Amino acid sequence: MRETDLKDALIEEGLRANRRHFFGHSLRGIGAIALTGLLNKASSADERTLASNNGPGFAPGQPGPTHFPAKAKRVIYLCQSGAPSQIDTFDYKPSLDKLDGQELPDSIRQGQRLTGMTSGQKSFPIAKSFVKFRQYGKSGQWISDLLPHHGKIADDICIVKSMYTEAINHDPAITFFQTGHQQPGRPCLGSWISYGLGSESADLPAFVVLLDKNSDKQAQPLYARLWGSAFLPSNHQGVKLRSIGDPVLYLKDPTKASVEDRRRLFDRLAELNQIRQAQVGDPEIQTRIAAYEMAYRMQMSVPDLTDVSSEPESTFDLYGADAKQPGTHAANCLLARRLVERGVRFVQIYHRGWDHHGNLPGRHPLIAKEVDQGSAALIQDLRQRGLLEDTLVVWGGEFGRTAYKQGGGDKYGRDHHPRCFSIWLAGGGIRGGSSYGQTDDWCYNIVDRETHGVHVHDLNATILHLLGFDHRRLSYRFQGLDYRLTGVEEHRPVKEIIA
Amino acid sequence: MFLLRAAIFSTIVFWSYSAFAEVDYGRDIRPILANHCYACHGPDAAQRKADLRLDHRDVAVESAIVPGAAEKSLLIERISSDDPDKIMPPPDASKNKPLRKEQIELLRQWIDAGAPFADHWSFVVPKRPALPQVKEPRWTQQPIDRLVWARHQHERISANAAAGRRTLIRRLSLDLIGLPPSIEEADDFVKDKSDDAYETVIDRLLASTHYGEHRARFWLDAARYADTNGYQYDLEREQWVWRDWVIHAFNSNMPFDQFTMEQLAGDLLPNATDHQRLATAFNRNHPITIEGGVIDEEYRTEYVIDRVVTTSKVWLGLTIGCARCHDHKYDPISQREFYQFFAYFNQVPEQGLRGFNPKLKIASPLQNKQRTAAKASVVQLEKRLERLLNDTGVNFADWEDRARAAAKQTWHSTTPEDVRSLGGATLIRQEDGSILASGKNPATDVYEYEWMPAGRVVAVRIEALTDASFVGGGTGRAPNANFVLSEFEVLSADNKNGPFKKIELSTAVADYSQNGYPVEQAIDGKFGRQGWAVDGNTKRENRSAYFVLKAPVEVSAAVRLKIRVVHEWGGSHQIGRFRISYSDKPTVSLPTRLRQLVSVPTEQRSGTETVQLTMALAKAYGNDKMKALVTDWNSSAALLESVTAVPATMVMSELPKPRKTHVLHRGQYDQPGEEVEADIPQAFPTLPQDTPQNRLALARWITSVKNPLTARVTVNRIWQQIFGIGMVETSGDFGTQGAFPSHPELLDWLAVDFMESGWDVKALLKQIVLSQTYRQSSSVTPEQLARDPTNRWLARGPRLRLDAEAIRDSAIAVSALLQRDVGGPSVFPYHPSGLWQEINNRPGYSRVYKQDTGGKLYRRSLYTFWKRTVPPPSMAAFDAPEREYCVVRRSRTNTPLQAFVLLNDPQYVEAARHLGERMFQHAKTDRERVIYGFQAALARRPQESEIKLFLETLAERRDQYRNNEQQAIDLLSVGESSVAEGNLAERAAWATIGRIFLNLSEFITKG
Repeated sequence: MRETDLKDALIEEGLRANRRHFFGHSLRGIGAIALTGLLNKASSADERTLASNNGPGFAPGQPGPTHFPAKAKRVIYLCQSGAPSQIDTFDYKPSLDKLDGQELPDSIRQGQRLTGMTSGQKSFPIAKSFVKFRQYGKSGQWISDLLPHHGKIADDICIVKSMYTEAINHDPAITFFQTGHQQPGRPCLGSWISYGLGSESADLPAFVVLLDKNSDKQAQPLYARLWGSAFLPSNHQGVKLRSIGDPVLYLKDPTKASVEDRRRLFDRLAELNQIRQAQVGDPEIQTRIAAYEMAYRMQMSVPDLTDVSSEPESTFDLYGADAKQPGTHAANCLLARRLVERGVRFVQIYHRGWDHHGNLPGRHPLIAKEVDQGSAALIQDLRQRGLLEDTLVVWGGEFGRTAYKQGGGDKYGRDHHPRCFSIWLAGGGIRGGSSYGQTDDWCYNIVDRETHGVHVHDLNATILHLLGFDHRRLSYRFQGLDYRLTGVEEHRPVKEIIA
Repeated sequence: MFLLRAAIFSTIVFWSYSAFAEVDYGRDIRPILANHCYACHGPDAAQRKADLRLDHRDVAVESAIVPGAAEKSLLIERISSDDPDKIMPPPDASKNKPLRKEQIELLRQWIDAGAPFADHWSFVVPKRPALPQVKEPRWTQQPIDRLVWARHQHERISANAAAGRRTLIRRLSLDLIGLPPSIEEADDFVKDKSDDAYETVIDRLLASTHYGEHRARFWLDAARYADTNGYQYDLEREQWVWRDWVIHAFNSNMPFDQFTMEQLAGDLLPNATDHQRLATAFNRNHPITIEGGVIDEEYRTEYVIDRVVTTSKVWLGLTIGCARCHDHKYDPISQREFYQFFAYFNQVPEQGLRGFNPKLKIASPLQNKQRTAAKASVVQLEKRLERLLNDTGVNFADWEDRARAAAKQTWHSTTPEDVRSLGGATLIRQEDGSILASGKNPATDVYEYEWMPAGRVVAVRIEALTDASFVGGGTGRAPNANFVLSEFEVLSADNKNGPFKKIELSTAVADYSQNGYPVEQAIDGKFGRQGWAVDGNTKRENRSAYFVLKAPVEVSAAVRLKIRVVHEWGGSHQIGRFRISYSDKPTVSLPTRLRQLVSVPTEQRSGTETVQLTMALAKAYGNDKMKALVTDWNSSAALLESVTAVPATMVMSELPKPRKTHVLHRGQYDQPGEEVEADIPQAFPTLPQDTPQNRLALARWITSVKNPLTARVTVNRIWQQIFGIGMVETSGDFGTQGAFPSHPELLDWLAVDFMESGWDVKALLKQIVLSQTYRQSSSVTPEQLARDPTNRWLARGPRLRLDAEAIRDSAIAVSALLQRDVGGPSVFPYHPSGLWQEINNRPGYSRVYKQDTGGKLYRRSLYTFWKRTVPPPSMAAFDAPEREYCVVRRSRTNTPLQAFVLLNDPQYVEAARHLGERMFQHAKTDRERVIYGFQAALARRPQESEIKLFLETLAERRDQYRNNEQQAIDLLSVGESSVAEGNLAERAAWATIGRIFLNLSEFITKG
């Protein structure tokens, strides 16, 4: 009986702009009428109804769908699963040159828990970065030679060097990053945003997930919970857009029927459903008719979305030849741009393979090369198209890596390090060409963590803030509690990195 | 806490607990106080401000409330103040929610009425309420109806008429067994004019074996059942025998208190049976990590917490988990009490990392029948053979001597002149004459072993011996301790320098061979990835094989023999320690098992071994009749073994010496505080303390009739299964923040009745579906929708989208593909390729989804293999959870992705084809065929307008497929089942008609 998701998905503010575009199509048939009816009805819903229908967490009397004006309307999140080494990417530490080979002193380690991988290790010798850093752009940001293309976006990005987290192993750490909780059971960031903002698109989901093909045999797995909606209604879970098989599961009709034939099938279904509704009066049937209409549209919009053949050659100059290979990071970054152009709110990209416990100097460059050009191209592309202004891009892993060696010799690795690591953000109200926070000489602790450290919850609070939400008020009542992404303790958006 | 308890049980002022009261403390007042005030003035002592608590009347009336005088009460003064420094809650929009005018007015009225407090309704033991007098005869039959009718009267809403029989039987069948009725079942019901026609259908459905499957389906969500371990690598586990237990328990209508007791503490029951122990797998179904870096205690703690959270949610409807890090903000559960509850589940001898033990191998209760039959057949054959042996006067001792003589085979030891590894391993001779490999461990290797025999050589034997230096103390050098002997060669040379020539071998005999790796492959002249292997990865035992030379080698001073032990499987599958010996007498071909059995001294033989020896001897030396009997016996015994062969299931057990439990500061495993003993929260009535405080005591408390929650929570969840929403909408939270029941008296009436019936689940269901409330039409008018959008007043019958499993099962059922076997291991139906590998392709830690074939594609959905990190995609689209944690209520959404599943998932396209074929075959005219389709898919007859649309579609599709045969072939070739003979265009047109049926909103709706 509840006109659940579609309404949810369509009622949101962004749709108003989109609706014009939407009505530009010639509408015919019952399905189209059902969809239109739903849109019109949705826009007249009052605030209280929205709140009770899982709309954003309005405080009474608060106008508008967000708590305050948003700087960003959408997010692209480039998750570097496995955790890149900050020492070898974005945290330039000349101090380590002098400390190279020295034992990590207990005064610096301060009883930090070790993982099971190095807890048996007797010696913890510091390894300086194996790669050179140089300065780029007007801002003169230091970026390592592992990521040369990032030099071109040095003035767009804000590097946060004082990130820290609570978990030290992959599963709990990435779950914490994405859902605000180490154990399974909470909605992920993308689901919260879908819940809070709904969709701008009538023929694509609000929250799309892209998985880069994995090349590293030892890579850490991913799990459905990372894009799951947990106790939020499941229409807020991420929809995977796949590079193999159907881009959206079961999207394609096995008979390769013509558009007209498919249209007739959908129309016939709508007519029969309509008859049933007249018999029983169930409004859910109307919603189902509209859902099928959306499905019909997706069958056309998704192939159009994933077909990059219409992109000019300059696009591939920017993203690199990889962008023509579905499933590469470059191809997915390009797809992300095409998704946000079409009104998708949240695009989550996962790149795996950074977890180098052995031979990090040999393996880190391979993974860095896989992501460098695509990530950098995305920022440049968004900027050229005027989308960077209100599109927030986030790049980072679930924790950092140790300054000391795991194993010895030249083929050493670096272990997990939750106490400090670097991520970058760009666009969507972020102060580009800047950095925030710093690590100590050993690249082991954050300097002034109380004031300058950025906890995972702080980062998520910042992302929500840029989208117009007070992270303490974007909540959902489940089992008697008002749950939120950022937990119960005090956390804050990092306003210093906002332009 | 002590204070609070005293307050609740000594100074309760009972206020009416009713859906109709003007101002009800529990329904109206407490939620306001809890939502807006408890954060600082509630149960959490650490956060409490100004020593004021509003959850506690004695404290509240000391300062904030003057009963009977709202205007004199500080509470009212503060919440209605204009002064920003005084107003409560303090105006910090990010933390506090201000009160609305109507809320303030309610508080005023309540205080004026004397500010009566009451214990939270669900914490008071339910009493059977008086039933209202009802005037309308239709609503007097069932207690449920009388209570529902009263609500109708109060809301001044008129109830729907009863639904038609076809609607009713479809609803009933979907609710009781999760499958739609067959055409015959529906017709029979329509034709049955007897008074108890409806009840007959109910009884038939409750007796169906599919009943237990359907109830188990719901239970699996609550029990977070899955076929994988969850967390990071999410590899497989086998807990399905427990799922069989659940199906069996429901089908045999096990009383719910027993069902509870066995799952929570079956192992602790006096004289616990195997199946009672098996039941405790419930609390081992949680995820288990194998991530290398974790700390054992960290995850062990998580597992215990999972049990606390799951148990309290499923049986008590309490969010006890909230008190893991601090006192509960709303309910009377302190952090200390959380860890007291934790202590009950903290006594399992388990680990955090790879914590799969304890496990027990217990046969499925569903296989009882098969097992009994196989056992009977074995016994009968044994008796027949015994009679035959007696009748023929066989001298058994003679046979045994013959076998013993044959088994006597002397193997002479050898001393090598030279032994080497071509792969570079170090081979060192041990004191016992064996050769131990160490050092370099190449992927493949060949050992060469030369010696000078002291006598005639008829056969050569190699023994593979276990050694502590190999993984798990096995026999092989592979990482899993197995080996594969690709080839065993014997060569001879006539003199010291002479060239070695290969000697032909005639037979190979091993004491054990791995399935697919028989010892014959070691002398077949073929190298590479085949040969003799011994399951060395699981069975770490000494093994031997001997090889008979085609022609014996006669001894002479200069003869040298060389053995080549060739390992080419790869992955270091080499024998790690071996010994070579030879025999100078002809070997007698004696079955390996018989050889083993006769070598056991008579007095040491077990009963089983004696039977086996009898059989082996009769087979070897008996007459044809005896041999035939033994053959039959062997197959019966094999069947018995196969129905008894089940995986070990993870179950609960108790440490011999209890583990200490501490309050964990902030819920952290490594921050233990005060030590605590197991106990239940103080706010609830306790049981006598004369039994040890263990899980059994907890289970007894949970199933006690004095427990105010268990029966209510259970009844409510079953109500939710039928009506879509429980009387308490928050079916997982009956605490103070949970929803107030829509029909409090009805909930209590059913809860009391449930307990008094002996916790009879079938009786409860029968009572619900017999009611007029259930039998109403579910049609809805705009006016009804406006007044009661979610049918909380129950003035119409239930109407909801089916759950994921019921949708898939319905499609398979109406297409007559459904495979109806009950129980057994999980199956792998259709699945988009690459889904598992795209999120995890780490070698050794991942696998490819291997789709089943044949009947396993069409089993009920509760048997579908459930991988937590990639839940079955076509069910996930319909709101099925991941099963990483306990879920008692699924969301119910309506999305375009669901349309894709029904339209294009091969499971549905294939089902549509078969449904179309059924229609086509059933009748001669298209019209009759369409009518048949309505009956099969929707259990009703169509309207003319509907028939017309189908016939039009049919005509269009015939044209389409006639003009484009390839499309017809594309459609018909989806799915594994074979395509019916005949006109392709015609078949495809009917398949499309089938697709339309499966995609109708009505098909996936219980109406």
